[in-house]
Amino acid sequence: MSASMQARSGALVSLAGVAKEYPKLSTGGDRLRTLAALLFRLRDIPHFTALDDITLEVRRGESLGIVGENGAGKSTLLKVIAGVVRPTRGTVRIGGRVGALLELGSGFHPDYTGRENIHLSSALMGLSRREAHSKVGAIIDFADIGAHIDEPIKHYSSGMVVRLGFAVATTLTPDILITDEVLAVGDESFQKKCVQWLEQYLSGGGTLLMCSHSMYHVQTLCRQALWIHHGRMRLYGDAFDVTREYLTYHEEKRRSEPVVAQPSVHGPRVEAAWIEDIDGREADTFETGEDILLQAIVHEPDDRPPALMVGIMRADGTPVYGTHSNDTTFRPKRIEACRFAFCFRLRAQALIPGKYTLGAHALDAEGLRLFHSVKMDFVVTGKTRDYGLVRLDHEWLPGREAKGR
Amino acid sequence: MPAAPETTRTLAQALRPRWGWLLLSFARREVSNRYAGSVSGLAWTLFHPLAQLAIFAFVFSQIFRVAVPAGYSAATYTTFVALALWPWIMFTEGLQRAMGSVGGNAGLIRKVAFPHRLLVYAAVLASVAVHAVGFLAVIVVLKLLGEPVRLSGLPIAFLLLVPYMLLAAGLGAALAAFQTMLRDVEHGVNIILTMLLYASPVLYPASLVPASFEWWTRVNPIAWFSERMREVFLGGAGLVTGDFIVAAFCLAVFAGGLWIFNRISPHFEDFL
Repeated sequence: MSASMQARSGALVSLAGVAKEYPKLSTGGDRLRTLAALLFRLRDIPHFTALDDITLEVRRGESLGIVGENGAGKSTLLKVIAGVVRPTRGTVRIGGRVGALLELGSGFHPDYTGRENIHLSSALMGLSRREAHSKVGAIIDFADIGAHIDEPIKHYSSGMVVRLGFAVATTLTPDILITDEVLAVGDESFQKKCVQWLEQYLSGGGTLLMCSHSMYHVQTLCRQALWIHHGRMRLYGDAFDVTREYLTYHEEKRRSEPVVAQPSVHGPRVEAAWIEDIDGREADTFETGEDILLQAIVHEPDDRPPALMVGIMRADGTPVYGTHSNDTTFRPKRIEACRFAFCFRLRAQALIPGKYTLGAHALDAEGLRLFHSVKMDFVVTGKTRDYGLVRLDHEWLPGREAKGR
Repeated sequence: MPAAPETTRTLAQALRPRWGWLLLSFARREVSNRYAGSVSGLAWTLFHPLAQLAIFAFVFSQIFRVAVPAGYSAATYTTFVALALWPWIMFTEGLQRAMGSVGGNAGLIRKVAFPHRLLVYAAVLASVAVHAVGFLAVIVVLKLLGEPVRLSGLPIAFLLLVPYMLLAAGLGAALAAFQTMLRDVEHGVNIILTMLLYASPVLYPASLVPASFEWWTRVNPIAWFSERMREVFLGGAGLVTGDFIVAAFCLAVFAGGLWIFNRISPHFEDFL
């Protein structure tokens, strides 16, 4: 039956010109006016617009990530799609069973045990008693919270609640799964389990809509992404493109704030530093495999050649690589008295796509004391599905039978 | 004029026509919530009406000396009141809990999509279920004590309870919707319910009502149901035309209340 509906509508989720306005209720008069407006379908009530003019389409097997700043309207959009919020304008068409995890433990009753909550949640998803009973075992297995399942939810840690919530939402295998920033709560191993499950779900034709501040999750799980800005669609398209633009936006926003700099005592200072591409043009976005050049001019008041330390960090602060100009026979070029120029060429094919921070640190001639640092951000783009910190050189070869078998 | 919002959940609706299980889960939760954390549990919900009955029986029969009307002279005043009191308690409790059901489940309404009216139904159902047990027990005990209660009246009494509770559900639904926006509703309703108890022949026979207020007894559905309960259990009466008229009225109230509820329910999330 779902196939015929599918064929007719084409998309599993389709929104056209969706807007959501929330009434402003500051005075008693506002409340009465709003009540009358709702009963008699008037529209002149004071309101603010949380979402405006959202048009999107998600087909079966697609995955859409929603990014945006806090308060941009991401959660409201997910609520609209989940059917919790009715849009003020526009149409919403949903062609399947929706499983929504809008908040950690949504739909759970704190006084009830995990097991009782599983029953209630499955009833809330529209399951019959028999269907619900047949799924309980699988849900408990997936949640993997041991004997706690028979304790009231209010005694659970937030991670345990998420485990149970995710287990309920996923074991009932909805046609469309909606999650709102819930993956961030579980512990590392459970997050992995969730991501694994989601990947399996997606490859099995499942449809995912998720809202996340983790660009890593959006890039690995979603093909498409939507960037919501002040309730409107700012960018909608390929997940890699959208997340990159989104990160660039944040970077620009931060650039207008003062850069990290410690005015130091008598010693070398990074007078200027910038990143450029192989053709000498200043840049901050590089394709995977493109060379990245760091240019730095260091002022050394005693006119002794200083040392430069370079460090690359991932956006989350994980160090990727660091090195030191004193480790080699390299000596910086003395442009004029007290001014030395460095050029650092990074063959960056090992960097997997993402956002990085490059630090240039000026050290004294002995390379012992750090005097001054400058940080710059850059982005590596690309569509690899590599995981981890760096891309290691490798190749795939034909295999063979094990020896001695 | 912007286009009217249209939310089509065609397949979703087709896939989940079985909200019955959810309604039952809600109702069960309503019942178990009442005795959560107390030791004697359900006993309290049975004991409370009994205590009320004892008070009314003492005050009205011993102090005010209200006489049981001539037709039911074989019955004591306690029996006379009990037959109307339990349905009244089902009605008020069902209505009050229905009214609080939306606010009380705000967390659920904000995060999960489901038909909100189930909360109202569940509140009324739970109230009926709990007090039906007490009502039955009291009827059996009265019968054993030699009161002229006819157990054969049970099926008709049950039929009469259906419109009575529909009335509670309809009023409860409308009030629950108003309550989300105007918190004053609850306080007003509690006062009105107390007034309604004394303004209806629950604790006294309709025959005592002065002629100038008789019109009110005639249009008050609570009066109708209370009197009918006694006629059925003590007089062995069957269904009469008036029952159908009152039932039609209750059904209209139910439909109207639900209309208001459904009008406002998509916006509950805005206000909770």
